[in-house]
Amino acid sequence: MQSLLSFERAPPLWAPLRFLLTAPLFLAGAGVLMLFAGEEVFTSRWMPASLAFTHLLTIGFMLMTMLGALIQILPVVAGANLPSSRFWLVCLHGALCLGTLLLVAAFLGAAEAFPWAASLLAGAVGLFIVAAGVALWPVPVTSPTIAGIKLSLFGIAGVAGLGVSLALAIWRGWTWPLMELTDLHAGWGLAAWAGVLLAAVSYVVVPMFQLTPAYRARFSWWLPPLLVFLALIESVALWGGWSMLAKMAEWCMAGGGAAFALVTLNLQRQRRRARWDAPSRLWQGGLMAALLAFVLLPLSALMPDWVDGSVMAILFGVVLGLGGFVSLIVGMLYRIVPFLLWLDLQQRGVLSHVGKLLADRPMGVQMKMHAASVALCMMATFWPESFSRLAGLSLLVNGIWLERNLLLAVRRYRQTLSNSA
Amino acid sequence: MNTEDVHQLIDARYLEPPEPFVQTMDALDSLPDGRRLQLLLFREPHPLFKALRQNGYIYESRLTDDGTFEILIWKNAVAAVV
Repeated sequence: MQSLLSFERAPPLWAPLRFLLTAPLFLAGAGVLMLFAGEEVFTSRWMPASLAFTHLLTIGFMLMTMLGALIQILPVVAGANLPSSRFWLVCLHGALCLGTLLLVAAFLGAAEAFPWAASLLAGAVGLFIVAAGVALWPVPVTSPTIAGIKLSLFGIAGVAGLGVSLALAIWRGWTWPLMELTDLHAGWGLAAWAGVLLAAVSYVVVPMFQLTPAYRARFSWWLPPLLVFLALIESVALWGGWSMLAKMAEWCMAGGGAAFALVTLNLQRQRRRARWDAPSRLWQGGLMAALLAFVLLPLSALMPDWVDGSVMAILFGVVLGLGGFVSLIVGMLYRIVPFLLWLDLQQRGVLSHVGKLLADRPMGVQMKMHAASVALCMMATFWPESFSRLAGLSLLVNGIWLERNLLLAVRRYRQTLSNSA
Repeated sequence: MNTEDVHQLIDARYLEPPEPFVQTMDALDSLPDGRRLQLLLFREPHPLFKALRQNGYIYESRLTDDGTFEILIWKNAVAAVV
């Protein structure tokens, strides 16, 4: 029986690694943009540099990592295999990289790049939805994770559809309600895609890697469909011109996100792993940042005189995006990359330990850099002239250090492999 | 889910991978015919499910309120005869 311990369903090592090792470069790229654009990133969320920065983070870093992680974990959490042929993965990865860069160029002034960026990104997302849809279609919904991952495909279709429509509307100068559509695009992206997927994957990876109790079944089943339902309500409300209903849907989404963060923090409190390592700390910090963002959202609407609405919108984006999602994703990268390198060594019959591939110390150093980046970006929302370039520099170093740490694990993997030969 | 014939219970809820897989496979080696193995986990073990199917085992999985998956595993009698 032990010979079966081959994890034969795991895809080839390079398939997810291609995505997971590219993502930190886009984080560093966001730092470079902030370094050069300076306060423009924080002046208004509608400024070209701000939009370019947002998409470097959300597509270049977040989407890139999420797709890479899904390629790796779909066989484990859902028993579904994505195609692992080099051709389609190279196409997907290439379209995602090039599409992101072209979109950034388009926002920064090269408007003729909008249709190219939209085509490439729509192609990449469409390709992924078809491949994942075909793989997941025959899989029965026997767990909240499978239900959530299936729903997240609907979510990403919504985000991409709205994003492509917005890109074409800007390019062709259509008189669409761009601000409302952008809010909807962000709502679908954060709740119906990223939020749903994060929750669905967390149901498996939080207990597995952090040795916590499980999420209660009823909560796990309800959260993903609730988030997608609220995104649909927001869409209908904006379509019908019922702005109050749309706002309430947004607040309910924030409530769902806050419930997830509180439940996960409570599970972390009961963890059986004695030592708090960097990935666990990143998760803890990310969940607390997300909670703060979900408090800021209704607060800014209820007390409009407290802080300027434009500043609050940027602060919400920084705290939820960089402080919340990016922290959680970095924590997950530190679990997934060494684990799949270790898995590959196991498959080759080479004994090793996950902790030897990537030690806690370099992860801890990068975690502190990331915390500094989040703090500086938050300060830059209030005092852009004083802090925006410093925040950009810290984000650049943060992204490079993350890449360095992941490559360190790859180097140790290669050393272990060559030593065993 | 009938748990009357359970020969052995493996509570793998707080074990790191691949320990649940290893312990289950070891336990199946000594599972008497007609008896069942019960595995408790906080996730559905899909790689294990595939290994079980390939080796002529049948399983049933049930998610309980506290998030535990109760999995019963037994040898397929038809496969055993064949």
